[in-house]
Amino acid sequence: MQDDKESYLLLLLSDANLPTGSFVASAGLESTAAHALFHVPGPPGSDILAFLRSSVDTYARSALPFTRDAHHVVAAYASGETLELDAALAALTRLDTLYDASTLNHVARRASCAQGAALLTLYTRGFTRPSVLLADAADYDEEREKRAAALVSALKLRVRRGEPDAPAGHLPVCWGVLTGALGLTVDRGAHLHLFLHARGVLSAAVRMNIVGPYAAQQLLLHALRRVVDDALRSTAHLISGALRDEVDSDEQADERLPATTWPLGEILAARHDLLHSRIFNS
Amino acid sequence: MSNGGHEAGHGNITAQIHSNRVVFPVLSYTYPLKLLSPRVQQDGVAIVYMITYGGGLVCGDRISLSANIEQDAQLVFLSQGSTKVFKARPGVRAAVPVTLRTLGATTTVTQQRLEVSIAAGGALYLLPDPVTCFRDAAYHQVQTFRLARGASAALLDWYTSGRRARGEEWAFARYYSINEVFVEASPLPRRTLADRMGPYACYATLFLYGPRVQGVVRELEERMRAATVFQVREPLDVLWSLSPVRGEAGNEGRIVRVAGKETEDVKKWLSDALRGLVDVIGGEVYSKIFI
Repeated sequence: MQDDKESYLLLLLSDANLPTGSFVASAGLESTAAHALFHVPGPPGSDILAFLRSSVDTYARSALPFTRDAHHVVAAYASGETLELDAALAALTRLDTLYDASTLNHVARRASCAQGAALLTLYTRGFTRPSVLLADAADYDEEREKRAAALVSALKLRVRRGEPDAPAGHLPVCWGVLTGALGLTVDRGAHLHLFLHARGVLSAAVRMNIVGPYAAQQLLLHALRRVVDDALRSTAHLISGALRDEVDSDEQADERLPATTWPLGEILAARHDLLHSRIFNS
Repeated sequence: MSNGGHEAGHGNITAQIHSNRVVFPVLSYTYPLKLLSPRVQQDGVAIVYMITYGGGLVCGDRISLSANIEQDAQLVFLSQGSTKVFKARPGVRAAVPVTLRTLGATTTVTQQRLEVSIAAGGALYLLPDPVTCFRDAAYHQVQTFRLARGASAALLDWYTSGRRARGEEWAFARYYSINEVFVEASPLPRRTLADRMGPYACYATLFLYGPRVQGVVRELEERMRAATVFQVREPLDVLWSLSPVRGEAGNEGRIVRVAGKETEDVKKWLSDALRGLVDVIGGEVYSKIFI
């Protein structure tokens, strides 16, 4: 994809007004604060930075492999490399089912489904090409866009029907689907996803009044880039394990699989519904 | 009981019911692994202790154990004291077969593998003491459980921050654990975990599934429903969560996670939470767990 189109897509996708439902999620931050586990010793900002590092790290390690794999599935189908719609759909379902089975915390699972479904709707209603613009566009790759749109619509239908074996439509999988359908590169898509996760946590912190809006900007500019880049680099080689049967049982193969790296965060996030008063849904 | 098998650190168990008692047609092990089954009075239940030479594991040790629990047999699987993982064996270097060294760049990692299949009506209660990794030790554990429909399991995976008496707190290199649970071959959760901690000194994950643990599940759900968190000033001594996970319709599994400031706190919490097992495995057997 040409650089200018890619940067334009990044502008659109990083818009905080994008209707993806992320504004109701705090990724366990609200629960952490309520349990008096947010504050850590150190200069101002140490606490939110520590939370961000842990949260970004565990999310990258547990979710990004699914984002990358889903992106590849959709890109391969859109380009015609995978011919059958059913094969691509089955692969996405396997990814989503495994992510669902690996996400052992019901609060995170609930938030993930809500945001994932919102992304599929965003694509089918907000990012497909309106018919008035079909004919004259210079950058219109008709075949590719039609195949991508058909796959996303089929997936959305399956999620919505909610039959017993249907995919739930989890956020990391649907993000990979969205960016794969739009033609972003897989690395760009993963990078943006992780950045948005971190920014979502920060804006939750601002709304909870534990970080000021200017301090949040400072962190975004000076600290978050390292956190996101490090997590991306250390997880780039991971696979979801859902698409291949070849996963050997030696520890080198095991270590390429997704993992959660923050058990305390899991407990706190799962206790979110116990909070007496709460602003967020997760 | 017999010493069978050829490779080091291997164990095999088959448990079945023979006129109301659990018997072991197969119970074999090789150094440094040892399996012991003390006699118990309770019908239908047996205990197996997994013991390692010197009560610990050294880098490069590979323990591999498979168990087959046949219809209606209930097996309680325990360790004798916390499993200590050393970076290197203090003092004598015991004979290590050459095959271990030729397995690539993995000799510094201590590995433990467990594969268990459980038939209908059968149950596995895997309730060992926690794993304690000493400074710089690396531990890698893969546990796979295959449950038939109607089988039950209570699977505990827990670890401490290290030898705190010696000032070692989260000083180990890594603790990596994969638990795979299949019910009739469809994967339930896979949980993996690598080296990251918090202010707590002991973490536990408990997986509950099947008809025999429903009493325990019901009680935990009741306690969770009654809990409400107001803003607290100080971190709680014990923090726990309960989440349902997919299973057959109407028979979901549960994941319980516990963190505690002290290992004893977590042990006490677990022993209390699982007390309902007394109705299933009997008081005598239960009294040997969490001591």
